[in-house]
Amino acid sequence: MHIKELRLKQFRNYDAINLDVENKVNVILGENAQGKTNMMEAVYVLAFAKSHRTSKDKELMQWDQDFARIEAEIERKHGPLSLEVIVSNKGKKTKVNGLEQQKLSEYIGTCNVVMFAPEDLNLVKGGPHMRRRFIDMEIGQISSVYLYDLMMYQRVLKQRNQLLKNMFPVPDQEQEVMLDVLTEQLAQAAAKVISKRFSFLQLLQNWAKDIHHQITTGNEELRLTYAPTAEVSEDMELSKIEENVKLKFQQTRQNEIRRGVSLSGPHRDELTLKINDKEVQTYGSQGQQRTAALSLKLAEIELINDNIGEYPILLLDDVLSELDHHRQSHLLNTIQGKVQTFVTTTSVHGIEHDTLKQASTFIAEAGTLKQMK
Amino acid sequence: MVQYPTPISKLIEGFMKLPGIGPKTASRLAFYVLDMKEDDVLDFAKSLVNAKRDLTYCSVCHHITDIDPCRICEDKERDQSAVCVVQDSKDVMAMEKMREYSGLYHVLHGAISPMDGVGPEDIKIPELIKRLQNDDIQEVIVATNPTIEGEATAMYISRLVKPTGIKVTRLAHGLPIGGDLEYADEVTLSKAIEGRREL
Repeated sequence: MHIKELRLKQFRNYDAINLDVENKVNVILGENAQGKTNMMEAVYVLAFAKSHRTSKDKELMQWDQDFARIEAEIERKHGPLSLEVIVSNKGKKTKVNGLEQQKLSEYIGTCNVVMFAPEDLNLVKGGPHMRRRFIDMEIGQISSVYLYDLMMYQRVLKQRNQLLKNMFPVPDQEQEVMLDVLTEQLAQAAAKVISKRFSFLQLLQNWAKDIHHQITTGNEELRLTYAPTAEVSEDMELSKIEENVKLKFQQTRQNEIRRGVSLSGPHRDELTLKINDKEVQTYGSQGQQRTAALSLKLAEIELINDNIGEYPILLLDDVLSELDHHRQSHLLNTIQGKVQTFVTTTSVHGIEHDTLKQASTFIAEAGTLKQMK
Repeated sequence: MVQYPTPISKLIEGFMKLPGIGPKTASRLAFYVLDMKEDDVLDFAKSLVNAKRDLTYCSVCHHITDIDPCRICEDKERDQSAVCVVQDSKDVMAMEKMREYSGLYHVLHGAISPMDGVGPEDIKIPELIKRLQNDDIQEVIVATNPTIEGEATAMYISRLVKPTGIKVTRLAHGLPIGGDLEYADEVTLSKAIEGRREL
């Protein structure tokens, strides 16, 4: 899929811009603080109806304005689509071909975007929540049922945590029964989330392993494993997973009451990455961690293509400069000719690659964006 | 802004307190009232007051009623062995419209939600349990909403009732009848797949 036209209104530092996108690869050049990342963010918001760097929608609106609008004409395998996301003080609205979408979960997935930003280099090094977020975002893109299951899980989790807090220090009989009920409900929701994560990671692993192999010219073997807090494995049936998750909750029940919080479940599970059987998080070098992050992102692009039959739009925000020459060219080779990509950088100097030579270049300067002829 | 005379601005404010009515609709309704015949307006005002004054909750099933016990509980023709547990009085109306169910009801007036500070004691669950001890009820049909809180309430009730040997059933969820499959959302469809039956 690709964007043909992008229009922004009162979005961050853009007052109003109208961008015709003709090329597969588009380079956005500019000094710092001119609006390069804002442009990436706009495409990201178009896909996910939320920002990758803030949870406050107000920040997306231009200073002193009460709404921001992102519109795009995109071309998908099955034909063209007009998308629109409006962020205002009253909330968010999304439209597909002019029709307002009732649920956000129905909108997400109409445009698939994969972003690779400097903070993604921390995907491997950073805390477990970053990897969980990565898994959730990516499965969510290809499965709206997963988004729903996850939302359900989080909702029950909140209820259960609140109950656990109320139970301290001396729980009454009713609360004990209610905890049983919510534990059962949480285990049901957890099993669905866990089983989807297992199968997604299996697919991702298949791609990531090959890609990582190529980048490291056959020297490194990357392996992804889901490390759940309960005794579950991917060959288990849904009902068995549910049973074991419940068992774990039962074992930690007293502790949970004391601490007033749910101590196991998908919100505490971890994704471990191993290179040649050593954990990259702990034992990997900086370079290995970056390569692993790159492999994951590239695998994600392939996985989406596998699932929906077309490549997503790729956003590379300031990462080219963070990668060495070898990884740069691997990345650029991968996207060449097949993935519509937006790249931001302060300078293309020193990056000699056909992909960039054929690209359209836009100059970002103080809230304007001009195509360089 | 134009300032309306006090009687009409009070009327507008009154309408605005109702759910789903904003300032525009409220002023439209208020101006409509001005054009109505005085008798109609009086009737309307009376029925508002009467609804509030004369309606109470049935002491047996907690459904809204003007006589206590309510007409449904008093109706000996109805099946006394089944009770349908719902969250709201409006749900009783919905079930009654169906005309297929002839058992009794029990209105909970809410669902358990620790986040909102609503525990089992805060809704009519103790009353339900008490009722089950005395009456000859053999089946409890739990018809709470298919939300997290509704499900939790259903499971809670089933935990309390099952040990007494009374049958507990839950409404099925899935596809709406008469709708096209293609218009169902993914989540409803996946629920329908989960609950599929052999033909």
